[in-house]
Amino acid sequence: MAAEAEVLDELHRLRARVPQLTGALAASVDGLVLAQDTPGVEPEGLAALTAAALGVALRVADATGRGDFRELLLRGEHGYVATYAAGPSAVLTLLAGDRANVGRLHLEGRRAGTRIGELVEAAAEAQPAPAARPAPKALTPRTRTARTARTLPGPTGESR
Amino acid sequence: MTNTETALKETLASIEGATGAALVDYTTGMALGTIGGSKSFDLTVAAAGNTDVVRAKIRTMEHLGLKGEIEDILITLSDQYHLIRLIKGRGGNGLFLYLVLDAKRANLAMARHQLKKIEGDLEV
Repeated sequence: MAAEAEVLDELHRLRARVPQLTGALAASVDGLVLAQDTPGVEPEGLAALTAAALGVALRVADATGRGDFRELLLRGEHGYVATYAAGPSAVLTLLAGDRANVGRLHLEGRRAGTRIGELVEAAAEAQPAPAARPAPKALTPRTRTARTARTLPGPTGESR
Repeated sequence: MTNTETALKETLASIEGATGAALVDYTTGMALGTIGGSKSFDLTVAAAGNTDVVRAKIRTMEHLGLKGEIEDILITLSDQYHLIRLIKGRGGNGLFLYLVLDAKRANLAMARHQLKKIEGDLEV
């Protein structure tokens, strides 16, 4: 993903705008880190767990006819974890303290999710050789078998 | 005693110049109910933003060592009044009523009086 620097900029902007945020992470729907700003939290683990939670959430939404995934909110004793859709192939996960303004978290999270989705999509389109990869994988986020799916870089096109 | 929905309806119907109202939980910044507003005036955005206003004022009063409690907060724009009324008692702790008034049509004194009465009758 070539959009990494821009996505990271977006995460920094988000953290500057919402002071109660303690971390922000953009990940692909299959659990790979795109960009992260999560001091004190291991980003790879969080991205993988986000993908796993997303997989369950998608199935719950599907089973109850709630349509496409939009967001997930988890509240623990010491704060919130919120995951927002960022286009069809990425998600934005935000960490916030227990005094956080959830209304504001949602507003900023949704907005940033949309923007990150656009950045990721634009980068995917600008990629010179996307034909080597199976193109429709982004459209159906198959997240149950999390990390394994995306880590096959080029089973067909690679010449070595 | 009125519930949230009735109280919001009453706010919009009985207060002259009212264009929108919301009952907001300022521990989370989320609205328990909204009425009125428009495409260009999103009351959920207002709920989140004014939560920061209320929290800032409460924190400032703590820093100043003031013992009193906030009854209401008035914000005057060139063409609107925004009235924030904190809710007291009966489980209403941590909530406020947010009212948007058209400055040309509203009677501020009357609006404050009516909002106080609606707040007193509200049971969440």
